[in-house]
Amino acid sequence: MKITRLVLLAAVAGLSGCVTGYTLVAAGPTTIYDLHVNAAPGWNLAPGSNTNARANTQVWTQDGLLLNRIAFVPAVPHGEALIRSPQKDAALPVFRKDMLPNEIEELVESTFVKLYGDGNAVISTSNLRPHTFGDTPGVLFDVDASVTESPDYKGVVGAFVSGERLYFMYYLAAEPHYFGKHREAAEGMIKSAHL
Amino acid sequence: MRRTATLLAATALLAGGTLPAADEEITHSIPPGYTPEQERDEQGLWLEMEEAERRLNHSALLVRNPDITSYISEIVCRTAAAYCNDFRVYVVRNPNFNASMAPNGVMQIWTGLIVRAESTDEIAAVVGHEIAHYTRLHSLQRLRDIRSKSTAGGIFDLAVLLGTGYNIPVGQLAAMSAVLAFSREQETEADLLGATLIANAGYDPHASYRVWLNILAEEEAAAVKREDHGMFSRTHPDSEDRARYLQSWVTSRYGPPDQETVSDERLLAVLNNNYLMLMEDQIDTNRFGRSQDLLERHAAMGVDPSLVRFFYGEMFRQRGNEGDRELAIAAYRHAIEEDGAPPAAYKNLGYLLLKDGDKKAAQEYFRTYLDVEPEASDRAMIEFYLEE
Repeated sequence: MKITRLVLLAAVAGLSGCVTGYTLVAAGPTTIYDLHVNAAPGWNLAPGSNTNARANTQVWTQDGLLLNRIAFVPAVPHGEALIRSPQKDAALPVFRKDMLPNEIEELVESTFVKLYGDGNAVISTSNLRPHTFGDTPGVLFDVDASVTESPDYKGVVGAFVSGERLYFMYYLAAEPHYFGKHREAAEGMIKSAHL
Repeated sequence: MRRTATLLAATALLAGGTLPAADEEITHSIPPGYTPEQERDEQGLWLEMEEAERRLNHSALLVRNPDITSYISEIVCRTAAAYCNDFRVYVVRNPNFNASMAPNGVMQIWTGLIVRAESTDEIAAVVGHEIAHYTRLHSLQRLRDIRSKSTAGGIFDLAVLLGTGYNIPVGQLAAMSAVLAFSREQETEADLLGATLIANAGYDPHASYRVWLNILAEEEAAAVKREDHGMFSRTHPDSEDRARYLQSWVTSRYGPPDQETVSDERLLAVLNNNYLMLMEDQIDTNRFGRSQDLLERHAAMGVDPSLVRFFYGEMFRQRGNEGDRELAIAAYRHAIEEDGAPPAAYKNLGYLLLKDGDKKAAQEYFRTYLDVEPEASDRAMIEFYLEE
């Protein structure tokens, strides 16, 4: 029942996407602002109607944004949030240039809380581990999101700091099924990110 | 001697903007064990809520820890007295302050209420208010009011409102505004009946306004004030009005409070046993003025100092204002000295010392972290810093 509803929602989202300008991302090397990524096949660039996205952010999906998405958020400067919010009182957490891995992990956790809305989701992170993006040291970690009136989501996050700016990539997908369906390709794209 | 006012008289008094006299009773509108048998609209409302309850039962945000659920259920049962078996209580993991009551007896208590209570009496005050909504058939009154003011679209809106706590009025704003104005009167009625219920159950009725004074203090401490309080404030009297009329009414009826708020061991045990979950959710809201207000309150209440100091460390470190790093380091050190600090206190103190350039001390704390948390999921990250 739940899956049926999801597929229906995805179909509607996909249909509206066709109308409002989803575009296929060509597989292979691509650049998002100054971030280079090796795009896997089958991902579609979501239109700018994603109101939570910062400028220069790209959000891609395979089956619709409700089911899976990968986002590339390049060059977040000191003092700025990772997403936008239409609410002035959203109290978005901001990036600070001296953040260490544990704080970047917390920044993302709190940002995802805001992404779903205060009180609508419980976010937990785990498996914080080092990863080198190109030749820049950074981190990877996993995310679990329990969301009100929604399927659970799982995700993988990559992040690194260069030139006092944060580069942040995440894959989030509904559980069961959709997270595992594209995890390998999504994690590969995140790990491929470099300047 | 108190006399019993009729439903009509009580409603008229509230609608007129004055409170019932302190010696008047606002009574329940239904008997214990009530189920709708004749009214089709009410039966429909219950069916709608039963479907919402089925979804709620599968929610990953439902708290299933019996330590918390049995504590809340006991408060509900004691306050509800003869109506105890009419309620099904769900504790929902949500750091905001709220509780809700559906017309079929499904009560939701958010964890944000538990973390803000200074006593069990205060939780009982909110529970009593919700019980009053149920026994006064307020939801049914609202449904009928909507039906008299709008089309079927409005009924859908109400279903969304009752099921989720949020309202999505589409082209129904005028009608909804009228309904919500009516609802504010119901809220006042529920406040007064709720205060009576907790007094009858042996709780301190003065808790009914103290809970709102705490909310006012938290709002005062907030760095970012809420611009839109959402459904809760539009349908409820504001906290200041509420505290004022409740204090006046309760004091007239029961006399002045005979003592200041005293924390109870049962609430303290629930907070201590679940503090990590409750405060992590609060810290994740990134609302540090509010978090600091809560921590000050918890310290005064006697919540385990190692836990309170750990979260002071978390709050200062994540807030990141000038001087916060030093405050966070001191808080983590105090938490560790208290014996009983969460393993993350060692790790996060280590990270702060790393920032300060004290690599040797940082590594000492990282090693201790791995000793006390051998299954740490971030072991690879910590070992990266140990090997540097």
